Amino acid sequence: MKLNNNDLIRKETASSMTNHWVLAISCLLLTLSGFAFLFHIQSIGDLFGGFPMMRNIHNWLGVVFAVSLFLSMWNWLKECITFGYNDIEWCIAAGGYLGKFWKKKAPPMHKLNTGQKLFYLCLLIFGLGIIVSGFFIWLSPGFRTIMILAHFLHNVCFILIGIFLPIHIYLSTLGNPGTIRIMIYGTVPVWWARKKSQQWVEEIEEGHSH
Amino acid sequence: MTNHWIDLRNADVVLVMGANPASNHPISMKWIMKAQEKGGKLVVVDPRFTQTAAKADFYTRLRSGTDIAFLGGMIKYIIENDLYFHDYVINYTNASFLVNPDFKLPADLEGVFSGYDEKKRKYDKATWSFQMEANGTPKRDLSLKDPNCVFQLMKRQYSRYTLEQVVQITGTTKEDLIEVYKTVGSTGKPNRVATVCYAMGWTQHTVGVQNIRAFSMIQLLLGNMGMAGGGINALRGEANVQGSTDYGLLFHILPGYNPAPTAALTDLKAYNEKNTPKTKEPSSVNWWGNRPKYITSYLKAIYGDKATKANDFGYAWLPKVDEGANYSWLNMFDKMFKGKFEGFFAWGQNPACSGANSNKTRQALSKLKWMVNVNLYDNETGSFWRGPGMNPKDIQTEVFLLPCASSIEKEGSISNSGRLAQWRYKAIEPVGESLPDGEIINELYYKVKDLYEKQGGAYPDPIVNLAWAGHKGEAGKLGHIDMHDVAKEINGYYLADVFDKKTNKQVGKKGDLCTNFVTLQDDGTTSSGCWIYSGSYTLKDGKEVNMMARRGKEDPTGLGLYSTWAWTWPVNRRIIYNRASVDPNGNPWDPNRALIQWDPVKLDPKTNKPGVWVGDIPDGPAPPMALAEGKKPFIMKPDGVGSIFGPGLADGPFPEHYEPLECPLTENPMFKKHRINPTTKMFFGKEGDLKEDEFATCDIRFPYVCATYRITEHWQTGLMTRHVPWLLEAQPQMFVELSKELAKEKGIKNGEKVNVSSARGTLWAIAIVTDRWKPFQIMGRTVHQVGIPWHFGWQFPVDGSGGDSANILTPTVGDPNTMIPESKAFMVNIERG
Amino acid sequence: MTTKALLITPELCIGCRGCQIACKSWNQLSAEKTKNHGGYENPPDLTPNNFNKIRFMEVPSEKNPTRWLFVSQRCMHCKDAGCMKICSSPGALTRSETGAVVTNHEKCVGCHLCVAGCPFNVPRYNRKTNKLAKCTQCADRVPNGLTPLCAKTCPTGAIAFGDRDELLAKAQQKGYAKVYGEMDLGGLGTLFAFKDAPKIYGYADKPAINEFVIFWHKFLKPASWLGIGGMTALMGLHYLAVGPKKETQDKEEPTCLCGEKITESTEEREANHETKQ
Repeated sequence: MKLNNNDLIRKETASSMTNHWVLAISCLLLTLSGFAFLFHIQSIGDLFGGFPMMRNIHNWLGVVFAVSLFLSMWNWLKECITFGYNDIEWCIAAGGYLGKFWKKKAPPMHKLNTGQKLFYLCLLIFGLGIIVSGFFIWLSPGFRTIMILAHFLHNVCFILIGIFLPIHIYLSTLGNPGTIRIMIYGTVPVWWARKKSQQWVEEIEEGHSH
Repeated sequence: MTNHWIDLRNADVVLVMGANPASNHPISMKWIMKAQEKGGKLVVVDPRFTQTAAKADFYTRLRSGTDIAFLGGMIKYIIENDLYFHDYVINYTNASFLVNPDFKLPADLEGVFSGYDEKKRKYDKATWSFQMEANGTPKRDLSLKDPNCVFQLMKRQYSRYTLEQVVQITGTTKEDLIEVYKTVGSTGKPNRVATVCYAMGWTQHTVGVQNIRAFSMIQLLLGNMGMAGGGINALRGEANVQGSTDYGLLFHILPGYNPAPTAALTDLKAYNEKNTPKTKEPSSVNWWGNRPKYITSYLKAIYGDKATKANDFGYAWLPKVDEGANYSWLNMFDKMFKGKFEGFFAWGQNPACSGANSNKTRQALSKLKWMVNVNLYDNETGSFWRGPGMNPKDIQTEVFLLPCASSIEKEGSISNSGRLAQWRYKAIEPVGESLPDGEIINELYYKVKDLYEKQGGAYPDPIVNLAWAGHKGEAGKLGHIDMHDVAKEINGYYLADVFDKKTNKQVGKKGDLCTNFVTLQDDGTTSSGCWIYSGSYTLKDGKEVNMMARRGKEDPTGLGLYSTWAWTWPVNRRIIYNRASVDPNGNPWDPNRALIQWDPVKLDPKTNKPGVWVGDIPDGPAPPMALAEGKKPFIMKPDGVGSIFGPGLADGPFPEHYEPLECPLTENPMFKKHRINPTTKMFFGKEGDLKEDEFATCDIRFPYVCATYRITEHWQTGLMTRHVPWLLEAQPQMFVELSKELAKEKGIKNGEKVNVSSARGTLWAIAIVTDRWKPFQIMGRTVHQVGIPWHFGWQFPVDGSGGDSANILTPTVGDPNTMIPESKAFMVNIERG
Repeated sequence: MTTKALLITPELCIGCRGCQIACKSWNQLSAEKTKNHGGYENPPDLTPNNFNKIRFMEVPSEKNPTRWLFVSQRCMHCKDAGCMKICSSPGALTRSETGAVVTNHEKCVGCHLCVAGCPFNVPRYNRKTNKLAKCTQCADRVPNGLTPLCAKTCPTGAIAFGDRDELLAKAQQKGYAKVYGEMDLGGLGTLFAFKDAPKIYGYADKPAINEFVIFWHKFLKPASWLGIGGMTALMGLHYLAVGPKKETQDKEEPTCLCGEKITESTEEREANHETKQ
């Protein structure tokens, strides 16, 4: 079945979209409040209704984040741990993002490209770290060493997520015009999908996948 | 205290024995440590390594109840090494007096002094007397060589206290003994002074008074009495216990240490004759020769206008003590146990926990018809009928609780150990229906008086004739008293114009407050509720001044006397016997500690003649003893000198070591025949004696020596402190401290619950296994000692987590002089709970 | 105002615990139910209701059966304060004019990181109020000219309060050559005049903030800015230098999205109507 290039193809379902929205919002708010805690940014604290309130929000957002990260595994984990030779090529080509500076073309990818997959795995791993350490900080007063290590881990994970987050946001907005619509509609034009996820489109056309 | 708290800082050596000031008198440590700061040495002798020991320059241990052996050895050491202060001993003590040749030492009589009656357990003191010159003064040998002189007798008495013998009895090492003896002995020089701090660790023994006397002798030998930084200092266990004895709380004295009249002394004349010491020594002040003035003024204070010359100033109305009777605590509760009392006022006390042998005490309460418990709130005494082992159904005692105000809810004076009477103000109103004790007494007084006035009764006179500074409540309302009126009554008034008998000069105007006790009279023209406090509330420039409320901070001598802060009896003298701090010519033994000094040139403002004392208030204005009309320094003593030979006590003119009633030894290492103090009253041993009074000495069932003590966080029976959550948090439970060695032997782990038992009872305690206790080597064998605090009681905390009173274990036995119970040395067992 | 400090001299402490009780009194800290664990020391540890406690320690002694030490445990008011470093709320832990580390319950978020961050294991977290609790060097007394109550209560001068420099000089004058806390952690506000090695008194020879906390404070905190900020900047740079990776539809294909067909089985067709390229 050949897909019409002008047709739209559904890349994300309503549930996975919701999942992403919840994850994204909680993650951003957590990052924001986290920064406020780290650097004592009073204005952010005020936005949250003061620091004590912000602490509660931060903690409970952490729960939301944890739950949605957990659920996200149904949506993206399988895709994200499936790697092929093209992932290496993608990496060598730096996803084709370097334009005139590195003219290698990105190879045809599946539904998600290597960068997206790696970002997800990074979020999953460091997210897990930040969640576990966060819960330790929240719920286990008294164990000083554990507290310090948890706090340390929380911050390391925070930094790492913080490094990948701008890339993710940039590439899904300004860096890749047209990508943002996946968050909004869940669908992309087939022709666009062919460019980004050629293998996936082909698989659908061959009837292997939707 | 002969001296006062601040004065501790003036000492070169502070011996702490039978006390733990760091824990129980923390403020005193401030002054002790100030002495240390200036190079003074703190020496602590205690069975336990205490908080005070932790701060000591030298610490050593002795077995509980062996202080006389320890101190006897010290006397021997001081004499043998010629460390005593010769001039002082010859001039200011009775060391040179010749004793009756019939007087015999324990060495001659298998452990007792001459005159002992084994049946009565009493001494006939006839031979405890001095040889007299024709003029009626004691014979003396100033060379101290006569074998019958006090000094030689003392030397012979303590020659038996060899280092080896003392080591065997006390368990102290020889090296340690020598170190302590040397340190204390170093103060036998004019410019070095030692002081002693003692508390219940010395007093609560069957030889309690002799413990203190032993060191008093040492202080006299070393010339430390009357000196700044010296003296004999009892660290009293309660802020106002000095006041309570001053005001005659004990059964055998009236206010101001006048003896309670006995049945045989039927009139005032007989009383005065019996109780007024006489002397033919011209240079002795013999202050007690003034006794008739003080008792008369006292009678005038309590009976007012009803006391007239014609009726002996109401002497007949005073309650009389039966001849030889002893109404002290142990006897009183013994009688109560035997059903001899109907009613009992437990006023500001908690006998169910505080009295020795608590189980017996608690049983005794159940024999009463009624009891009035006056306290801040209910306690183990008021609730005795629902305490452990009691069946409320079987108890008929009706208990009334009268809630009284705490010390911060009322105004008045308190007298601390240093005899300092300090006025305190009311901070807050009493809580609820509680009233100050004075107001309760006031109410009781008018109610009882009314009843006697209306109903007559067997003998109403002593009550209906009382005069009182309080006010009666009108129309069913409560009366009131003004504490200032009471304080003035105590100070005393001139009831007529009073003239000096010698000079005929007027010394007092009718209606005025007395200047001081010097002007009190024996003819009924003065009143004073307690002569030693006369001068505490007096006229200054025509105005009535409460001297106890003074808050001056001047210290002109630099010795810390602070003579304008409050007021000290007698006549604001901060260190008594201060005339002994100067040589017979009136020059201070140590110019750096000059309390007083005789200035032969300066004019006496009173007489306008040259020669006057400068410095603190001297013990009497007379010139120093070497001068014409000079007086000897120990003005309260008939002979004017300090008593190294002290015939006044029940158990001997010299202290002698006897074992405690309960001890780990089968016999006294000193004398086989007399294991314990031969004059101690025995409550148990004869047929018909109470099982409750049982004791067990050298008994394998109770192999360990035990002593009770206090801890910082709690006070007395803990009634006021156990109810303070912060203090309970810091010291929540009854504990027993024992050595690691004993713990190992008994398989006891630190922090576990154990049972401590004596012949009289058992209580649980948490074991504290510590290096602060160590086993003793006594007479060649190992003796363990343990220690317990006494502040707990079954009633609070209500969950019973605190434990019970240490007195459940203590024996019914006391010192023959004071009947203070022997709670510092008794035998117990300890087992895992 | 000059820097104030408490100078604690265990050699002068008699273990009366007046300071321990006075502290509870002034700060109105409720009592806790305790048990005797085989010693005088109680409560067993600092708690949200115990800012100052005396430790009773028996250490070996040459001349006596034991050496009984009484050592106060309480906030050290470090100049370089681990608690303040790690604290996540501005104003919850502040430095007073006299140099004390003061708690502000209203600002405290209850994260209890300070509990972990303190090198002396001092702050305590109150689970009931969800706030940290510790000694403030009587921050409500000192500005009013009063002495911290512990020092005021101490009968023997074991706890002295005053100008830090003066106290140091006094201690040195009295022969305490090295005062614990003189230099440690930037200088402590609770100084100890120790006669022997600090560890005998239960204190670390060289107190230090946990390396993890220091590493976090020195490197990770800036790194988190650097990470998120640097990466954002990098992305901006990419946008400017390389530009977005614009995908365009190949010429041979129709350019409009005119088809109705969406490869999906769902009902979300309505989206298509609005979709425009």
